[in-house]
Parts: sequence; structure tokens; C-alpha cells
Amino acid sequence: MLRFLIRRLAAAVVILLILSFVVFLLEHIAPGDPARAYVGANASNATVAAQRQALGLNDPFLTQFWRFLGGLLTGDLGRSLRTRQTVTADIATYLPATVQLVIAAFVIAVVLGGLFAVSGALRWPGASIGRGLLLLLATAPPFLLALLGLIVFFGRLGWLPARGDGNFEDPGPTGMQVLDTLLHGQGDAFLDALQHLVLPAAVLSIAPAVAIGRVFRSSLQGVLHVDYARTARSKGLTERRVLTHHVVRNALGPALSMAGLQLGFMFAGVVVVEQVFSWPGIGNYLAASIPVDDFPAIAGVTLVLGAIYVVSNAVVDLLQAAADPRVTVH
Amino acid sequence: MTTLLPRGRPRPTAIGGSHLARPVAWSLVALLILVTLVAVFAQVLAPDNPIQPVGAPNLPPLAAGHLLGTDQIGRDLLSRTLIGVQASWLSALVVVTSGLLVGGVIGLIAGATGGWVDTVLMRFTDLFLALPGALVAIAIVAALGSGLTNTLIGVVIVWWPYYARILRGEVKALAARPHVEAARLSGVSRHRILTRHLLPGVVPTAVVTASLDIANVVLLLAALSFLGLGRQAPAPELGADTARTLSQLLSQWWVPGIPGLAVLVLSLIANLGGDAVRNLLPVRR
Repeated sequence: MLRFLIRRLAAAVVILLILSFVVFLLEHIAPGDPARAYVGANASNATVAAQRQALGLNDPFLTQFWRFLGGLLTGDLGRSLRTRQTVTADIATYLPATVQLVIAAFVIAVVLGGLFAVSGALRWPGASIGRGLLLLLATAPPFLLALLGLIVFFGRLGWLPARGDGNFEDPGPTGMQVLDTLLHGQGDAFLDALQHLVLPAAVLSIAPAVAIGRVFRSSLQGVLHVDYARTARSKGLTERRVLTHHVVRNALGPALSMAGLQLGFMFAGVVVVEQVFSWPGIGNYLAASIPVDDFPAIAGVTLVLGAIYVVSNAVVDLLQAAADPRVTVH
Repeated sequence: MTTLLPRGRPRPTAIGGSHLARPVAWSLVALLILVTLVAVFAQVLAPDNPIQPVGAPNLPPLAAGHLLGTDQIGRDLLSRTLIGVQASWLSALVVVTSGLLVGGVIGLIAGATGGWVDTVLMRFTDLFLALPGALVAIAIVAALGSGLTNTLIGVVIVWWPYYARILRGEVKALAARPHVEAARLSGVSRHRILTRHLLPGVVPTAVVTASLDIANVVLLLAALSFLGLGRQAPAPELGADTARTLSQLLSQWWVPGIPGLAVLVLSLIANLGGDAVRNLLPVRR
């Protein structure tokens, strides 16, 4: 186990290094001169040259990469050309809203995925219509789901708001509106934040729910008819008890692993959903940086979301290894 | 090798694992071919110029002379959607084909050679697989500058490792089969084994993998286009057309809605067609 732990963590570190190298390389080839961006478009060539020297842009490539890595370790991601703030400060402002959105979507995805799988494996009557609908929705591009949700729940029914994460001032300290209002016991603000959260989270959850559901269903079907399930039934246990005590636990492994993978995918896929709902998260920050070629911001978000993805994958593997010793054997 | 996590793309959708009757499967494959033909001949099929205003703005679908209505400046939506479908579908095919070629060559070399070549190539592949593909693609396109060619380059860079992984596994499995072993023992050259015995053997797997992947690529390209990382205005593109007209959603739903629905139709056809291809070809599940 310890060996596995060390190997897995080392792999994660290597992947993070590669990720930062890729981002650094892209920053290098991106159009636009960082020195000129610093001193302004009207500066003389001599000023730009001096700024290049000061920023170390004339140093050898590897020296620059080394300095870039050093910057990353001390939380220095450069300065956004659009907001004029440090990218680190911007991301610190916007990340909590994204985390809140992804967690909510993940909870919905796990519940929907579980229902999808259990209803399929146990052949609940009528549930196939729900499964078909979910499959169809998961085929759609997320932005179309968002539009559909907005037309129905905002335009027609008027139940849910269309933009942002809440109408009230966030009282702190986490920056996650739902959690903060709950901590301060502000009922109205909490309900308001929850209303804002439902639709974007639901849209984000559909594709992962189907991915989790399909894996879970096929592993459930695999375990429903194995010998120990038959033995349990022949002992006279109720079907419900066979299911909860013998089947589900043994079928859970692949589904958990898929759920972890989907959590990572959600952090990467949150960009489009945040943009449609004007959600004040880092996906929206990224989307706003793209049209103005704000590469430091794009690089910073890629690094942070990428690192979350890599780390969550590593954590899932370790959890799986802890739950099922067979994982570490290979 | 488990430490670096070779992971396939989980398919977001599909009716997966289903058994389709052969006529049904063949008609779904015909649908794939039909979409491809529509995409290729979109210019001929489009009734109007997709870039010039040709009617009153914001006409609803089924308006006289404009089957899908018109957009905010009176351009024909059917024509714009057809050209958008062309861009989406042909781009997806280009990405899948390039991914298949690059990944296929690397997978074949790794699987057929074995030894340290295999180890090095697969470690490299796994590193790419461990990165969040969609996100890295966004960064690559943003760095190269938006435009359809750059978008395709960016997506292919993150897309090939999946094919390398799958085809390498298939080659390894094939190489252990009796007919390949017999060829090797009777002194057939390595090159000839590769081209005459291994390559034809992996074709079904390659085709199935690729056709199941088209829907993924369609959705990824639509998302990139939605974020402004595709063709530039005024060229029609499904994701971007939706993104630019979002403000009209509640007043004229069809202007942002129809390009989005077109993406849904493409993704659905690609999924069903992919399943059909898998049903028709002899591949291990």
C-alpha cells in the first residue's frame, strides 16, 4: 500500500510538472508581447526593451521555465491584462463559486446516476422512460440544456433566476453563497442562493450522471446473479436486504471510480455552464479572458483547474486502493 | 503502469451495449453517410447566402420562404445552420481521423515493437491522458489564436493518446494469437507481420473506436466554438451562433436555439451511428 501511495503521488507530481510545462510553452508562443502589455501600447521601443530585460524575457528558455515554476510554488501566476489584478487574487475571488457549483452538481449527478442504475438493474416499471430522457439530455451540448432550462424555469414558469449566484451580499467567510448564508442563519438569502444554484448545477450534472449510472448499472447487473447473492437469497433474506448488504457494496467500486473521474471532468467542463448563467466563478472568468487574449489569466485558470483535476484523480485512486486492496496489486 | 492511469474517455451518452437488429444498424449507418453528404454539399443545399441578410429580421420557423426562420439581422437560419453543420461535422471527422492516424501509428509501433520503445511511448501517452483534455485544448487554441485550423490542431493534440492506448492494447492481444505466432516462427519479417497480419487485424477496433468518438468531438468542438474559439464572425458556426444571440433567448428562442438543436441532432446521430457500427463489426466488447 505504501509503495502504491508513493508511486501514485510521484506520478501526480510528474503530471503537474508536465501541465505547468505545457502552459509555460503556450504562454511562450501566445501572440502578444508581455513586455509591451506591461508598459502600454504607446511606449517607445527602448522602454519595451528595458521592460523585456527587467521581466527576464531575454533569459534562456529553461531559466525562464525555472523562474515560472518558482512563481507557481509561491502562488505567483502573473497579472491579468484585463482586470489589472494579479491572477492569483482573481482566482481566489472566483474559485469558491465554482467549487460550490461543482459540489452541488456532483451531488445531483450521484443521486441521478444511482437512480439510473438501480432502476435499470431492478427493472422498475416505467423507469425506462426516465432513463431514455436522461440519455437524450446527455447527448445534448450543455449550453443547449442551459437554454432549455432558462426558457422553461425562468421564462415560462418564473421559478428560478437566470443569472449569478445570489441577490444578497455574500457575508463570508468561504465565498460560497449557500454555505455562508447558512452559517450566518440568513434564511431569505439562503433560499435565494439555493434558487440560483439549482439550474446551473442540474445542467452540469446530466452528462456525469449518465456516465456514473451506466457504469454502476453494468456492475450491479454483474453482481445480482453471482453465487453469494444466490446463497443469500436461498437463506431466505428479503430481496431488499440482499441488495443493500450483498450486491450494492460489491458493485460500488467501478461506480466510485467513475464518479471521481467525473468530478474532475466537471471542473474542466464548468466553463460553458458558468458563462451561460453569468455564474461568478473561474469558468466565467476564463470565458471572459478568451475574447481579449488575456493569456496570463487563461494560463492561470488552466493551471488551477488542471491541478484540481490531477489531484482529484490521484485522491480517487488512493481511496479506491484503501477500499479494495486488489487495486494495488498490479 | 497502473500508476499513470490510462483512462478512456467515458462516453457521455449512447445506448451502449445494446443489440441492434441488422436492418436497424444498417439504416443508422446510412444516416451517418447521409449527414456526411449533407455536410459536404451544404453550399449546394443552402437556399440562401448564409452571410447576407435576405429577409426581415427574427422571422419565426416555418415563415414563408424561410423554413427555420431568420436571425437578428435577417439572415436565413436554414442556410446558416447547414453551413454550421458542415463546419462541425467535417471538423469532427478531421479530428477523429487525425487522432486515429497519429494515435494509431504510435499504438502500432509500441504494441508491435515491445520492450523499451513500448514503455517510453506508452508512458508519454499516459502523461497526455492524465491531463484534462478539454481544458488543455482551450489553452492551446487560446495561445495559437482562434480560427478553425488552430482549433483543429488544438483538439488533435489532446485527442490522439486515447487511440494510441486502445490500438496498442489491440496489437498486443493480436500478436499473441496463433496465426501471428505461426507467421513469426516461419520466419516472416517483422515488417511483413506488421503490415500483413497486425494492421488488418486492428482495423475493426479502430473503426469502431473512431465512430463511437465522433459525438464526443462534435460536443467538444461546439463548446470551444461557444467560447469563441472557432471560426470568426460572420462565418456561421453552431456554438458561436448560439453564444452571440443568447440575449434573444426569451423573445426569439429559435435564433440561439436552432444552432444548438443542430448540435444535438449531430451528436445523437453520431452516437446511434457509432453503436450501429459496433454492432456490425466483429469486435471484442
